[in-house]
Amino acid sequence: MILQLAIGTAEESVRELHESLEREGLRVLRSRERSRPILAVAGKIPKTLKESLARRTEVETVVQPMGELLLVARAMRERPSIVDVGSVRVGGGTVVVIAGPCSVEGRDHVLAVARQVRAAGAHILRGGAFKPRTSPYQFQGFGVEGLRQLKDAGEATGLPVVSEIMDAADLPAFVEHDIDCLQVGARNMQNFSLLKAIARAGRPVLLKRGLAATVEEWLYAAEYLAEGGCERIMLCERGIRTYEKATRNTLDLTVLPLMREWTHLPLLVDPAHAAGIARIIPPLSRAAIAAGADGVAVEVHETPAEARSDGPQALLPAELVTLVAESRVMAAVTGRALHAPPR
Amino acid sequence: MNSALRHQLRHLDGAILALLDERARLLVQTSASDPLRASPVGDLLRRHTGPFPADGVTEVFAAIDRHCAEFQIEGTP
Repeated sequence: MILQLAIGTAEESVRELHESLEREGLRVLRSRERSRPILAVAGKIPKTLKESLARRTEVETVVQPMGELLLVARAMRERPSIVDVGSVRVGGGTVVVIAGPCSVEGRDHVLAVARQVRAAGAHILRGGAFKPRTSPYQFQGFGVEGLRQLKDAGEATGLPVVSEIMDAADLPAFVEHDIDCLQVGARNMQNFSLLKAIARAGRPVLLKRGLAATVEEWLYAAEYLAEGGCERIMLCERGIRTYEKATRNTLDLTVLPLMREWTHLPLLVDPAHAAGIARIIPPLSRAAIAAGADGVAVEVHETPAEARSDGPQALLPAELVTLVAESRVMAAVTGRALHAPPR
Repeated sequence: MNSALRHQLRHLDGAILALLDERARLLVQTSASDPLRASPVGDLLRRHTGPFPADGVTEVFAAIDRHCAEFQIEGTP
């Protein structure tokens, strides 16, 4: 249950309410919303207590969010939240493009791609250093060295970087190399020990939807991050497994407008992993922005046929230029704007 | 004019203005002397097949270019 208190409620009254709920044996969480105090109450609340809370003068609205969602629930914020990734602000009425190679394939390569990403007008550089591959015989990534190369490319081009973390034991390396945003991949969406560990890292987290996860399960995974102390969470739809075999996965854009009602977190879409086919990524990106996504994440490679992972879904640099231009148009006609280039 | 038609026109007007704003935001990233700033009206007209008159296209883009001239990177001539 979420209690939205009246604007201007005295801090003393908020504290008194907070403590009185804790005396009832309930766990109380406070929103970081600044415009008004908002309290979330976890656990089963007796009906009589609910009624008495609704009658309190300082309680303006009582909201029952979906299931047990609290910190990520829409009602915990006045407006959808904005997540700062370096100098890029994700959410809040602008659209961002995240682009880069699927895997970091070497220092020169990732730097060349970063320059193309920057020149195309994209905002955040992505690149995998630890790769969760279906087969153990496929390229597994360059690990820590890959992180170093990615960060160096980001710094050389002024782009913040995002990379996937698969194991909590690697967290110190991500922090040491100042990776701007930690990505939790689809396969690890419900790896709760990983979520708990990275929640404390003080970095933005991009949480991809599990390939067989319901929206509710996805949001609970985000709630783990929030409950663990992570204040900057972004969600990323990347396709779910269905009976359809024409594409790698099925991009579930249906949920985006509903997610806007359920959560305040920024919503991104990765059409590349959903489609698995480069030529259909531009229309899927346009559709994602039209459906309200705060940004899209795509892969780019100069010679996709030689890419060490996911070549068939990588855009050519020139195709990325067009995708960014189309994203700008789609952002404008949906009442938003493409984010300015990173500083 | 029925209300649905009026609504569609207002929506298009809003989209046209939003696109002009986006164009202006892009120009802020260029210098005033960049030759790429001017609209390629000739190219646009060669591909233009819609009902909007060619003279009007030229006139509208001339006005856009004129008004966009003031957008430039701070500190550049």
